[in-house]
Amino acid sequence: MRISPPKNWRLKETLYSVTLGKCENCGNVMYPYQPLCNSCGSTNVKKIVSKGHGKLIEYTISYQSREGYEKAMPMAIGLIELDEGIKILAPLTEAEDIKEGSEVEAVLRRITADSTNGLIQYGIKFRVINNARDNR
Amino acid sequence: MVSIAEVSLTKVDRYYEYSEKDLAIEVYKQLETKLKERPKPDIIIVSSGYMESINKSTLSAVKIANYLGFKGAKTLRVENGDNGGAAIYTAYSFIRSGLANSVLLVGIDKFSDLNSKQLNDVLATNLLHEHEYHLGLTNHAYAAILTKLYMKKYNVSYEYFTNWPIKMHDNAVENPYAYLRFKADLKTIVSSQLVAEPLRIFDTAARGDGASIILMTNDEIVKKYTDTPVYLDKISGASFDYSYDLDLPSLKLALKEINYSLSQNDIIELHDSYSIIAALELEELGLEKGKSLNEFESYQVNYSGGLKARGYPGAATAMYQLAEIVMQLRGDFPGRKAVGEKGIIISTDDLATSSYVSVLRR
Ligand SMILES: [Zn+2]
Repeated sequence: MRISPPKNWRLKETLYSVTLGKCENCGNVMYPYQPLCNSCGSTNVKKIVSKGHGKLIEYTISYQSREGYEKAMPMAIGLIELDEGIKILAPLTEAEDIKEGSEVEAVLRRITADSTNGLIQYGIKFRVINNARDNR
Repeated sequence: MVSIAEVSLTKVDRYYEYSEKDLAIEVYKQLETKLKERPKPDIIIVSSGYMESINKSTLSAVKIANYLGFKGAKTLRVENGDNGGAAIYTAYSFIRSGLANSVLLVGIDKFSDLNSKQLNDVLATNLLHEHEYHLGLTNHAYAAILTKLYMKKYNVSYEYFTNWPIKMHDNAVENPYAYLRFKADLKTIVSSQLVAEPLRIFDTAARGDGASIILMTNDEIVKKYTDTPVYLDKISGASFDYSYDLDLPSLKLALKEINYSLSQNDIIELHDSYSIIAALELEELGLEKGKSLNEFESYQVNYSGGLKARGYPGAATAMYQLAEIVMQLRGDFPGRKAVGEKGIIISTDDLATSSYVSVLRR
């Protein structure tokens, strides 16, 4: 597992926050942010730092690891619909009792570490803030 | 017109003693024995999804051309993840345009050189690299989420998906080129290793090593090499982003481009990287949504055993499908025999964001 500091710096708006692009022309929302709308081609795209609040649509518990991510196993992974209306796939954290439909929020967490030079990779995970069952 | 003069392939397996070079030479040797004369390809096209990640080898087409003694040939490697259909499209385009009279198309990937954790990491580079890759996600997790969405939408249980691996293993038992030549019953499947719930190991493709080689020519020179050519009539393709809508827009568009409608007489090989992807592909082909895995047996689909049981050698997979369909159309496929005049290859990447559809006939 090798971590590239320049790449991490470049991806800071994606790895350390949920920064979206919203097309002012057609309303399309993109994650990560990019300055060109991949729906209509417009360059009139506004950068939005999302609060990272959304709903858990579906989830899985993954038992097959990738090299460098062994410590995160088993890994809960959710399909999240952000309030801004876009669906993204991301790891869940502090997730003992996961229910579809739960409210979730983005939090910054340690993801993995570079075994060669000790660099740490951080990134966004989502935690359940309001269990769907308790809502009923 | 574009003709397939001859095909050659190796059983999908774990070839610890063989390098990519050895496998390429092995399939080429077999090919040469089946041709009336030694080919003189204008271009060597290599379909490999992961050669540089797995074996730290780039310039693979140049190296393979040199191993096989085709000094002076033009060379090109096509990378489109594990969608080798892109390489078939490239070869077809060279011949249709007249830029080449003959193309040697080599499919190769060697998955067993890595352990499964390392290989998961390589295959995860197909995901959105700006976030999903960095967060440790896997393609399996994506397929698992799709499976759960499907179960909920169509009110089916996990057992519904087991219809696919059961049938694929039945088919593979008859195919000497298949990796997993054993029958699998319901009990074995539902108690097998959990990969990403509800996905079990039997819902995923059997990763192995493989090489396949195809001599594609224009129809003026094909008779120099063989008396029994097969024709690549049409090929279409499309790409889209990931979708959580339980459809495959790339395949939908590719099928529409050639006006394809499903027939029980067609001989079909599709890219069943996961049971759920097999279901979604069958549904794009025209089977009823939410029921395709109960209904596919009345069609001639994946008599090879598919990725599930013939095995999954990365971007060589489409070259296997091509070879299998050619043999089926000629009537010399050594496994379960299909009957028909038309062959269809559905090539996708493992999550079907890109699709190519090839139509072959005798
Ligand atoms: Zn737009």
